[in-house]
Parts: sequence; C-alpha cells; structure tokens
Amino acid sequence: MRYPKQIGRLSLPGRKVQLATVAMLMAATMAACGQDGGTEASAPKAPADIPELTKDPLTLSFIWFDWPPAKALEDFANAEYTKERSNVTIKVNTVPNANWHDAMFTQFAARKTDFDIPILDSQHIGEAVTNGNILDITDFVKKNIDVDAYNPYLLAAYGQFPQAETGQRDENASLYGLPLLGDTWTMIYRKDLIGDKPPQTWDEMIAVAEKCQTDNPGVSGLAFHQANGSDAAAVTYNTVNGVYGGKLWDSKTRKIEGVINDAAGQEAMDVLVNKMKPLTAAGSGNWFIDEVNAAVAQGKACIAFNWIAASGGLLDPKESTLGTTREEILEKLGFATLPKQKTDLVPLGGMGMHVSAYSPAAQQAEALNFMKWFEQADIQKKWAAAGGVPSRTDALESPEFLNAQPFNQVYADSVSRMRDMWNVPEYARLIDIENTNVNAALNGAKNPKDALNDIAKEQQGVLDSAGGKGGGGL
Amino acid sequence: MSDPVSVTTDHPVREASATPPAPGRSRHLSDRWLTVAFISPALLLLLAMSVFPLLWALYLSFTDYSATRGGPATFVWFENFTAILTSAQVHLRAFTTLIYVVGAVTLQTVLGFSIAYLISRRTHGRGLLTTLFLVPMMLSPVVVGLFWRFMLDAQFGVINSMLGSLGLGQVEWLTRQNTALISLIVVDTWQWTPFIMLIALAGLTAVPKYLYEAASIDRASEWFRFRTITLPLVWPLLLIAVLFRAIEAFRLFDLVYILTSGGPGVSTETLSFHVYKVAFLGFNTGTASAYGILMVVIVIVLAQLYMRYLNKLKED
Repeated sequence: MRYPKQIGRLSLPGRKVQLATVAMLMAATMAACGQDGGTEASAPKAPADIPELTKDPLTLSFIWFDWPPAKALEDFANAEYTKERSNVTIKVNTVPNANWHDAMFTQFAARKTDFDIPILDSQHIGEAVTNGNILDITDFVKKNIDVDAYNPYLLAAYGQFPQAETGQRDENASLYGLPLLGDTWTMIYRKDLIGDKPPQTWDEMIAVAEKCQTDNPGVSGLAFHQANGSDAAAVTYNTVNGVYGGKLWDSKTRKIEGVINDAAGQEAMDVLVNKMKPLTAAGSGNWFIDEVNAAVAQGKACIAFNWIAASGGLLDPKESTLGTTREEILEKLGFATLPKQKTDLVPLGGMGMHVSAYSPAAQQAEALNFMKWFEQADIQKKWAAAGGVPSRTDALESPEFLNAQPFNQVYADSVSRMRDMWNVPEYARLIDIENTNVNAALNGAKNPKDALNDIAKEQQGVLDSAGGKGGGGL
Repeated sequence: MSDPVSVTTDHPVREASATPPAPGRSRHLSDRWLTVAFISPALLLLLAMSVFPLLWALYLSFTDYSATRGGPATFVWFENFTAILTSAQVHLRAFTTLIYVVGAVTLQTVLGFSIAYLISRRTHGRGLLTTLFLVPMMLSPVVVGLFWRFMLDAQFGVINSMLGSLGLGQVEWLTRQNTALISLIVVDTWQWTPFIMLIALAGLTAVPKYLYEAASIDRASEWFRFRTITLPLVWPLLLIAVLFRAIEAFRLFDLVYILTSGGPGVSTETLSFHVYKVAFLGFNTGTASAYGILMVVIVIVLAQLYMRYLNKLKED
C-alpha cells in the first residue's frame, strides 16, 4: 500500500492557516514586547489612614518559609485577630527555605501575587523596593505606629531603605515594612558536658569544644550552618567575621574588595575553616537549621549555633534524646549569647512584614489594619507568649516574653549587638557568591584564602556591573 | 474487496478535499476544514505553550531585560551570547555537565543492557522482574532525591551504616568534591537504568529466534552469537535510548537541587542549575534566555549529528 503523500503547494485553507498562525505569533510577540512592566520602578505609597475595611469574608495571605514560627503566626493571628475582625481568615503559605526568595520574587515579576503580606528577609527589602513590589508605608507608620516603642535599629532593619548604618535608624529614610519576628543566633551548649558557665570568648569556646569532643567520643565539639543553599554558610562566616573585627563592605563607597578580605576577614576565615570546622561531625558540610537542631537533640554536639526562632523544638521531649521532660532537657542544655572576641557583634535575623503592591485594594487595607493591630503593645506581648519574638522594647522586656522560652533572654541581650548584611537589590547574587565559596572552603573544595578573595572579587564585580549591558548574572 | 484507489493516488489529500461532504454535513465543511478543526486545538496549545515562549525567549536573549526590574528591554544584540560563551564560570559548569552526562549514560547503558539481556534469557517471571525493575523510573526525581539524601547522609544514612557494619569508614557522599558528583551519577543511574533496560529488552525480544537456532546448528559460541546477532540487532534501538537519556541528563536540575545544591562550592553545578541561578537569583532574564537558547541549540546540533550516525548505521 502506498501512503498518502502531500506534494506541491498547500491548498488555500492550509496557507491561510499558516499565515494566520504566523501573524498571530508576531502579534503576540509584539504585544509581549510592548508590555515591559511599564514605568521606572519605584514603590507605590500606602495611604496614611487605613481605608475602609470590607465586611465581606476575606482571606489575608502571607508568604513565608516553612518553619515553626510560620505555623505559630497562623494560629496566633487566627485566634487573636479574628476577635477584632471576624470576617477575616489568616493564611500563612509556606515554601521550603531555599525557594523562599524565588517564590516571592517570581510572583513580583509577574506583577501579580497570591499573597498580600510577603514576609521578607531584611536583605530582600532593597530588591523589592527598587522594583516597586511593596508599598511605601512611611506615612502610614507616622500616623499609626508608635516608633519610639522600638529599638531604632530593629525598626530600620526590617523596614528602612536605603539601609541604615549598623545600630542606627535614619528618621528621614522611607519605611517599607514593620517588624514581624526578631531573631539572632544563640549558642546552645551542653551543661552536663562543659559546665553551667558558657564560654565568654570565641577562642575559649573553640578550646572548650575541642576538649569536650576529646572527652566524649561520638559527640562533636561544634555544630553550625554550613550548607550551600539559602544563606546558611554565609551567615556563619559573617558571624565569625564580625566577631573577629571584620567588615562585609563599605556601604558608602560600595567597596567589598579589600574590605571583606582584609586581615581581620582572613583571620575569621582561618578560624572558621581551620579551627572550627575540624570540630564538626563528618558530613556536616550541608547542615542547616534542621540538621543542627537534630544533632543537638540527639546529643551529638557539645556546642551549637542556631537561630533562636528555630530553637523551640529542642525542648520537645518527643524530638529529643536528652530527656523525657522539658525540665530534664533543660538540665543538660543551656542557651547563651554568642561569645565575644574583638567585637561583640551577632547576626541580625528575623523578618519584617510588607504589603504587596499587586494585592487588591481591600486586601491592602486589611494588611495595613493587621500591621497596626499587630504592633500594639498588648498584642506584641501575646505574640511573645505564643512563641514569637517581638520587636517592641516593652514586649522584649516583658515577663510574657522573657519567661516564655529559656532562650528569649538571649535575644533581649543581643539586640544592641546586632549587625545585618547588605540590603541592596543585588543581595540574592551577593549571598550566593558568599555561600558557595564559604561552603567550598568548609568542605575542602577551595583554599580558604582563595575562597575569601574570590568572594571579594566576585561580589565587587556584581556591585560594579549593576546597570551594565549583556551577560549580567554570570 | 476493491482497492481504496482514492486514498492511494499521488494526490490523495487534494482529491479528498475535492470529495463532496457526506450527507448531513454542511456544504462548507470540507474534509480539509474538518482536519484543520480537529488539529487546531492541539496546534494552538503547542503554539501557546512551546512555540511562543521559545520565540519570546529568543527575543529576550538579545536584550538586557530583567523580569523583576521591569523597564524597557534594551537590545544588546549578541553580548549575552558572547558573555556566556567566554565565561569561565560557564565553561566550568559545562565540564561538570559533560562528566555527569558521560558517566551517568555510560553506566546506565551498560547496566540497563546487561539487566535486559539477563531478563530476556529467562522464561519464567520475566514480566514480574521487568515490572519490579521499572519502579524507580516511575518515581518523581524530587522524591528520589530526598530519600537518597537521607540514605547518603554521612551521619545517619543507611549506606554509611552498611559500610560501618562491614568495618569500612564513613564516606562524606554529598559534601566532598570527589564523591558528590559520583553520588549524583549513582542516584541518576538507579532511577534511569530501567529506561535503557526497557528499550533494550524490547530490542532483544524482537530478535528473530531462527537466527539463534541457525547459529546453534553451526555450533556458534555464546559470545559469537551475542557479538554477531544480538548486539548488531539491538544496537540501533539502544542508541536511541542513549540519545533520550543523554538529552535528559544534559538538562539535569532536580537531583542537583535536592541532593547537593550544586555543592560543595559549585563542584556539582550543572548548566541547568546555573541557568536557574542566573534566571532567579539575579533575575537576569536576558542572559538566562540566551543561556537557555544556547543549550537548546547544542542539544539540537548534537542530536542531529547523532541521528545522522544512527541513520547511516541503519542503512549499513
């Protein structure tokens, strides 16, 4: 049998279809070329007064990464906020930590979000503001929020852009967010192995961890973040860098090369890779929050460093081998502020809440109302009691907060010692460069000195190439 | 029964379109229009989901456009392509990808064919064995990545536990430069060897039995039969399987993302993973589009060369 075979020119309908298809594609391409996102990006302004709120059922959606505070926030807000606004349901959508930035900014890129309140890391603010993704709430804050109730740096860190100097707030700068959850690193130590008194200096801490590891086979001296994803390894280096007197950059001149890799920076990298890394468990080169907690809970680490907001699970007897009750666990585990060395700096963690520029007006109004409600003194204390870390000074000093968890005092004592990273639009690339290089140094894939010099060179390249043409991002 | 002359002429389609509509059908609805009506939904879907995005990406690849920054897309012409092709970072990722593709596909081909050959020689339980071997292929790569991540964990993973019970030391599978890429190859091989096995098994089953019978009569050895009958007949099919696997391996992303995040450092970062970072960390959409277009071009060129070799092999 011979198969039908088309020869010669297409019949008229065929050609018409082809022509129509080509025309349609060209039209679609041209139309798409024309919609580039419109005007120069800048954050739209929120009204100073909260617009009239809807009485219809409304779901206020947050986006955060998947960790215990996210669940705590949803439960807390649904229990408390609905007392005031019974038609509102709070939904905290979560994504894996490694996808957090992408999940928010891909939606921002589409100029359409399925969340109303993005919970941004403090370093994400620059990117979101520059691209016009979140509302400028300066006027709203002036009219509705008691800014004097906060440590100025906390208010600045979670909302101000351009970034504030460490420890300060520029009252003339605009605000784009308000604090949701404060956080910093705590040192978690085994009281039964190293004694009740925590090490006071970084050098002492390393010596104590070394002795503990030698005296207790099967237990590693240290456990800390080293992973390649998110900001894990980078925060670890930045912390040691700060403690040993290093700087991440000169924000005024936008200089990184020669700053992060100066003598103090090199010393910090040497301490991290050559003194601290040998005291960690084999294969811990991809550890982040959960893995460090697991090592502590299983009694496999003498001293560990982790974010305070992620430490609650350590006291759960169901997840720990250190005791059958919370009290038993607390007999073995101690929480302390980070040891000092040349400075007493600690990393600033935590996040602020912001309003998506692409949410419908009713949701934006509700989001502003939620923020105003959340920042009240009594609500902040209730949030503290529910497991949150507030930012208002009165809430931080309240018994509701200080007695809620054994590590809350650590946070209160650390507030004046905090330092943040770069809050610039190029943050995601800067952190990736630092993360991959520190991870490489920690896992023997790169010489520590080369890794630090590469960080300086590559990060400087990113800052210098901002606005350059072609090949950006490589 | 008469031969359906009308559809076997040299101009069947034209004749078909000239055929009057069947009774009850509108006079304007010819076979030609009916054909267009039937295929247009699929065609439109294809145009919307594949062709248009490809053209759009092609356009963006010549610009400095950023999806988050917005603003007009300024033409930079071939600057993105030049930057990618001359970037040491890209060369490093290309080399990593090459090692991965060659390592994984070679291992999968050898193992897949061996398993298929052994299964084809069985008379009982062949179906059950084949089904069992296919299970890994049916799992999501993300799921596979997650459970292998636990199995390969240096502290509490089952692999190190087994090595420990044999008196061997702990291996840092995912955090050392020399083992991380091997681990990726092993996991990919675990999942995709069944694919090669399945295609090889189809080829082996299709080899005419009389060839083996004739060889047996000639007292040909097992090796001789394999070398002169089995392998030449299965080889073209196997090469197609290799092509599919190589293309898949070339664009590996999920296993890297779950198992190593490209680490330690960037030592297991493949080209696809790097494109993801360029596209979504810095949102350099223009560069990422050019990167993607280059990857597509490379795959098309290599696949074409490969197909030519395959056709030549068939002709021979």
